[in-house]
Amino acid sequence: MLELVEGHIAQLALLLIVLAAIYELSRIARKRQMKTREIPGLERIDGWIKQAGELGRSVFFTPGTGGITTPDTLAGLALLGYVAKHCVEDDARLIVANSDPQVQQVTEDMVKSAYAKAGKEKEYSSDTVRYISARQFAYAAGVMGILRREKPAVNFFVGDFQAEALQIAEAGRTEAIAQFGGTSNTDQLAFFMTTCDQTLIGEELYTAQGYLSSDPEATSNLVGPDAGKTLAILLILAGALLLTFGNSILVALMGL
Amino acid sequence: MSSDKKKMTRGELVLQIIIFSLGFFYASVYYIAAPGIIDLQAVSEQLLAYLTAVLTAAFAIGVINILRVHTINIKRRRATWKYSVLLIICLCTMAIFSVIASPFALDPDAAVIPASVIAFATPIWEFLYYKILVNVNSSIFSLLAFFIASAAYRAFKARTLESTLLLAAGLLVMLGQAPITGLLWPGFSAIREWILAFPNTAGQRGILIGIALGVLVFSVRRLFRYPWGG
Repeated sequence: MLELVEGHIAQLALLLIVLAAIYELSRIARKRQMKTREIPGLERIDGWIKQAGELGRSVFFTPGTGGITTPDTLAGLALLGYVAKHCVEDDARLIVANSDPQVQQVTEDMVKSAYAKAGKEKEYSSDTVRYISARQFAYAAGVMGILRREKPAVNFFVGDFQAEALQIAEAGRTEAIAQFGGTSNTDQLAFFMTTCDQTLIGEELYTAQGYLSSDPEATSNLVGPDAGKTLAILLILAGALLLTFGNSILVALMGL
Repeated sequence: MSSDKKKMTRGELVLQIIIFSLGFFYASVYYIAAPGIIDLQAVSEQLLAYLTAVLTAAFAIGVINILRVHTINIKRRRATWKYSVLLIICLCTMAIFSVIASPFALDPDAAVIPASVIAFATPIWEFLYYKILVNVNSSIFSLLAFFIASAAYRAFKARTLESTLLLAAGLLVMLGQAPITGLLWPGFSAIREWILAFPNTAGQRGILIGIALGVLVFSVRRLFRYPWGG
């Protein structure tokens, strides 16, 4: 017989409630054709790539050191699809550097597909997507080297980053490269803010693909998480008030 | 901006079904158990072991990519071709000695490789790994100290109200962290603790809640439709 795992029941109930709220709000947003707030960083991507193409300079992209199962890496890859498509359209040379060998295979496939879709297979060079190293600082040294040698017009580093993030960002800053960063690692976000021209903070990283798409379904999905946030705020407020008055029923419920 | 909505090919549909099934299975295993029928947790761990096997194969493809990129560099006599030669020599040397003499050697019991060869290779591998690789790695890591200093200098320039607040908060935290300031005024330590425990934690939690919800929606979207080929 199937049974619920003890200690995870409340989490499952909360997950279902949040998913239902997100679904419902997304449905309303789609129906009313609601618009999302502007994310300035994402608005500039097209312009940067176009400028790189006009100047004959390359565009650099790295999804960080995370594996293929890391959400940040997947969000980075979603953005890579968009960047690759526009690089092909605007004739800007794209360079992608990877730390994880599995991510390397996926990025290679994505970039090749972007060239193939535009009918420019012959323009794809086998050194467009590069595997650097699985070692954190060997990867950082490799990426810093590429930034110094190739001097790209834009440096996109969107994905899972640890201590190497600041090294890469500072190397790009020294070369006066326009920088676009994005990660959910709150320890690294502060460094991204100080070294990047545009930074995707928190959930903006996961909404980038939907934001850049004209698909109304994808846009409505951006509104959905707000329902979850409202629910989280209400739960936090209720929990704080109940605990203040000595009632720990909500804490007990969460422990189920 | 363009639409990413397109029809799936048959191959993509099959892959999408596999992605959905495995993703749904992994999510379910966290909440549901089937005692007496099947150990779902053990099945999910076994599947993860297969993932590790795939990763090992992917490493080989990664090495092929490195060789391909640097061979192109050498063939086309690009400005940095000499470094590419050096990289290929280092890569091959390290690989050969690691296969013979590292803790993950292929034949540690000298069943095929003669013991004299292993004895000869071991000190060379130790030198390459402990005296060169580890030290170079540490050197690159220590560069962070200088990068943090330059990033902090940039962040602490009081140009706007936000950066002035950041400067003030950063200074107070640093003053509270330094032991000598405790002798001057013990209040610095209390201020530091308050900044870290309240405004800082509140800000971080706000971001984390947003991230968790973003991951949730993103994962659900991926389970139902992966943007194949971007």
